[in-house]
Amino acid sequence: MRAASTAGPSFRDRFELSHRVRVGITAAALIAGGLLPLFVDGGGGFIDDATVALAYVMMALGLNIIVGFAGLLDLGYVAFFAIGAYTMGYFGSLFHITANGGEGVHILVAGPAAQLPGLHFNFFIIIVLAIAATTIAGMLIGLPTLRLRGDYIAIVTLAFGEIVGRIAINGDEIKFLDTRLTAGRQGITPVDKIDLPFLETFNSLELRPWYWTAFVLVLIAVFVNFRLRDSRLGRAWIALREDEVAAVSMGVPQVKTKLLAYGTGAAFGGVSGAFLGSYLNTVNADQFQFSFSIFVLAMVILGGLGSIWGVVVGAIALSFINNRLIPDVLNDVPGKIGLDFDLTELSFGIFGFLLVIMMVLRPEGLIPERRRKIELKAGIEGLVVDEDTEKQP
Amino acid sequence: MAAAGLPASTSGAVSSVRRFLAQNGLIGVLLIMPLAFAFHDLRTEGDLSRLGNNLVDGLSNGSIWALVAIGYTLVYGIVELINFAHGEVFMLGSFVSVSFFSTIGLTVATGIPGLVAGLLLTLLVTMFALGTLNTMIERVAYRPLRNAPKLAPLITAVGFSFILLNVGLLWRGGSQRSIPNLIDSQALLVSIAGVNITRGDLLAIAVTIPLVLGMTIFISRSRLGKAMRATAQDPDAARLMGINVDTTISATFMIGGLLAGAAGLIYALYQTTIWFFQGFTAGLIAFTAAVMGGIGNIRGAVLGGLIIGFIQQLSDNRIGSQWTPAVVFAYLVLIMVFKPSGLLGEQTREAG
Amino acid sequence: MNRAIPIGMLLSALAIGVAACGDDDDTASSGDTSGAPAGGTLTVYSSLPLQGAARPQTTDLVNGIKLALKQAGNKAGPFTIKYESKDDSSAQAGQWTAEQVSANARSAAQDDSVVAVIGEFNSGASAISIPILSEAKVPQISPANTAVGLTSDAPGADKGEPTKYYPSGYRNYVRIVPKDTIQGAALATIMKKDGCEKVAMANDKEVYGAGLARNIEIAAKAQSLNLAFNQGIDPKAANYRSVASRAKSQGADCFVYAGITSNNGVQIYKDFEAALPNAKLYGPDGVAEAAFFDPKEGGVPAKVAQKVKLTVATLSPDSYGEVGNKFFADYEKEYGEKNPNPYSIYGYEAMSLALDAIERSGTGTREDIVKALFATKDRESPLGTYSIDENGDTTLTDYGVYEIKDGEQVFLETVKADV
Repeated sequence: MRAASTAGPSFRDRFELSHRVRVGITAAALIAGGLLPLFVDGGGGFIDDATVALAYVMMALGLNIIVGFAGLLDLGYVAFFAIGAYTMGYFGSLFHITANGGEGVHILVAGPAAQLPGLHFNFFIIIVLAIAATTIAGMLIGLPTLRLRGDYIAIVTLAFGEIVGRIAINGDEIKFLDTRLTAGRQGITPVDKIDLPFLETFNSLELRPWYWTAFVLVLIAVFVNFRLRDSRLGRAWIALREDEVAAVSMGVPQVKTKLLAYGTGAAFGGVSGAFLGSYLNTVNADQFQFSFSIFVLAMVILGGLGSIWGVVVGAIALSFINNRLIPDVLNDVPGKIGLDFDLTELSFGIFGFLLVIMMVLRPEGLIPERRRKIELKAGIEGLVVDEDTEKQP
Repeated sequence: MAAAGLPASTSGAVSSVRRFLAQNGLIGVLLIMPLAFAFHDLRTEGDLSRLGNNLVDGLSNGSIWALVAIGYTLVYGIVELINFAHGEVFMLGSFVSVSFFSTIGLTVATGIPGLVAGLLLTLLVTMFALGTLNTMIERVAYRPLRNAPKLAPLITAVGFSFILLNVGLLWRGGSQRSIPNLIDSQALLVSIAGVNITRGDLLAIAVTIPLVLGMTIFISRSRLGKAMRATAQDPDAARLMGINVDTTISATFMIGGLLAGAAGLIYALYQTTIWFFQGFTAGLIAFTAAVMGGIGNIRGAVLGGLIIGFIQQLSDNRIGSQWTPAVVFAYLVLIMVFKPSGLLGEQTREAG
Repeated sequence: MNRAIPIGMLLSALAIGVAACGDDDDTASSGDTSGAPAGGTLTVYSSLPLQGAARPQTTDLVNGIKLALKQAGNKAGPFTIKYESKDDSSAQAGQWTAEQVSANARSAAQDDSVVAVIGEFNSGASAISIPILSEAKVPQISPANTAVGLTSDAPGADKGEPTKYYPSGYRNYVRIVPKDTIQGAALATIMKKDGCEKVAMANDKEVYGAGLARNIEIAAKAQSLNLAFNQGIDPKAANYRSVASRAKSQGADCFVYAGITSNNGVQIYKDFEAALPNAKLYGPDGVAEAAFFDPKEGGVPAKVAQKVKLTVATLSPDSYGEVGNKFFADYEKEYGEKNPNPYSIYGYEAMSLALDAIERSGTGTREDIVKALFATKDRESPLGTYSIDENGDTTLTDYGVYEIKDGEQVFLETVKADV
């Protein structure tokens, strides 16, 4: 952040677009995103990867609040994915199969789930529960980090991520009354499909409704992100990030502001986790590993820390590289050109290589935050000009 | 505890009470498991040999973590980068050393003079190779990002750790591989009051102590060490004082690599199993150790490594191996609550 | 037929082109393949984790699959068979991921030429792919799943299993490895016979390892064999010295590990041997491979190996018959490995069974192949002669007990599992 690299500004200037062009591109991308499923096979691999990518976008947007806005390096975001997914698993599957004497509890569900034992709540209720659970968890994890600075926060959040992951794996040994805490590595499967009012229950061979649901959730998430960023709270986050001591002495309530950052950021992870639990039809302890936290963090940093559209682009790019480019496109190349060579042996390395290359070429991220860009352009540390903060009362 | 986050609210009497609580709380946290188990052992078995064995195993395992953690903490102190690739450098240290000592023909049958000479040679070669590798990684992946946002190099570090993992995978395949047990690592050396000390324990501690002492002296006395500390404190001021910051940073990575190489060899001899994924766990533990001791502090990293080693063995022995990582991290969180800058934490730019 | 579309449009508030898209996806919804023409080309998928810790096993598995196809000359009856190896793991995770598993299952369901899927490797993964493939009526053969609940509600299964995996009620899944119950009983039987007084057990917390450990526990209780403890381990730990020293302080005289080699199997045997120098060591088929018992391949040293007994569903080489011997000879010729790991045998047999079922189906349609799979009777294979029962399980119950001499497994005796 100190000073721009020498080659930087001129390169960036060339790509500086006017406000109107940017709005145009954003609108076009949104419309294209919404219409996309009409032009592809509804059960195909592409729409599948796109839906997963949208779910990751939601998580990256949540992490962006914690790391990008509030400047709290969180290496344990996977904890919120896990808590959201387990909320889905608890309240929308056969997991509590003995509940209500084997009859099950059904709240506002139709379709096949209405006949099954276990707890089956409507997807909206589960989303609300997931938001509540992850917000509380986010704040609890935030508590011990309040006195910490910088990378000490990183390790404590990492620790919580690992502890949650361990509980997910070993939870099948812990029993309350009649049920286990988690289903461990066997996983909670199957999980209820999303069941929206007036609609057929979703199924696993026609993916377009899933895509559109994820798309709408992402639109809401982006909207909430923009509103939050420009709100009083958002400005408090950015003030804390830029200079904690100054912000506190100007009357920013440190405890409340930080805890709200953890809580809100976590809630997005919870929504995404619940959606993925239903979409992937499983809640399995193997999903919740440290490397996933790093994966989401890479999306945020690669996209542009603090930049909402940047994070969206970063998440889409990385999840397509991981779920499509490497397994489906690259791995078929040797076979297609007639070589008997197994590229899966190199996938790790290719993924790492792409991370390094992208980061070295775009150190500020694919679409840098405007505030950061202005700082870099001015080349003077501490000079902050931003149209968003000028409206501050 | 939430109120403790407010620096404004500390007045004299309250703060001294709080400080007293904080200090004793920390001691309580550190001793809670050993004391509980000591009490339990005395009641059920009548002596402390079980705890003593845990301690010995913990110290020898911990001293390997300590060596890796020093590299972590040095690099962190100077460039404030959580170097996720460091664990993989350590893994390659094991791979290089095993390949080298197999090539020069060391086997279980080699006599003691030959073995000692061969292992010393292996140690030197491995340290040199890994030091060079680490410097090269700095050159390629971190230096271009010296002026980039602070978190950008974190991602190149992750990227490089994936690349190095892949190198390890191609080199020795995906399975753990048992290697010749050159020093007969688990052979009993001496047994004191039921506490067994094996050859591996002796090796780990005998190599770690001189390296750590040498390191501490080097950092505090030598010209380069002083340059490193100056750069760590304020790179711009150091540059103005005529210190070549780039060279100093390269040297730091070199030292980190040297130690990771040494740790790799000791790990291989001690565990007698190597695996391309071993660096991932080791890196995570070393990072934890470095933070526990106070990032940037060499003695802190060693202390952190030893404590983690001990906690791991206690947990393996009494709670259950599948919970061990959770126990270690729970300990870390507790320590952070009572001592926010780590056990021997000092002021760094970041944690100031 | 595509009711979800207009409402999806509503949702995204982009109500354009509704009419244009009503009827473009008749491939998506059903499994009624309209009958591939006789003599056409059919595809067999495998979906296995090709990256990360399971890679050594799955590489051998794929080798076995390829060998079977090659021996058959890429033919099953009148049909030409194409094989595609799909990866159900991702580079970022280094292991199977739910995303890839369901993506593979869907792409198999969508592609009408796919008439069999070999997979998954992990039971947790099969729990995800079975419902999708069952809906599309795609025959599925698992070469490695042992979790009881995937096929039956026998002891060890959870409530609601296995019906919850087959929402449409259509059973499409068979497996050629015996479920955990049988090997658990076999291991307990052999330990009892060898006079074990107190057994220390470790498991790797995987579905396979933990399930096997649970079944060893059940069998041990039934046969009044004394267990010191059943300890889940962290497969990424550096060593298990303190786990082993706990066994020592409890006076264990036998050790059994329920898990696979690549979950640190080598290290755990070395540590237990060092702590309990007089103990007998036992292991399941998960460690019956050169990477575990051959020091040249990175396995345990001879000092440890000579104390180990392994149970494997494959029998003595003499009892293999023609099919088995041909497999071993060909495998050695193709890959230069005299003692292939059991997964290569399972891979080989999974593909052989698929080819056999395609040929017996006559028509080459998915439903007829499923029928043929469930009708498998007295099939000769390198695993022994077996049938597939109505749950899709193999009828094999005999286990071979092996010991290790000079880095090779040597057949000792056959044990009848006392279930």
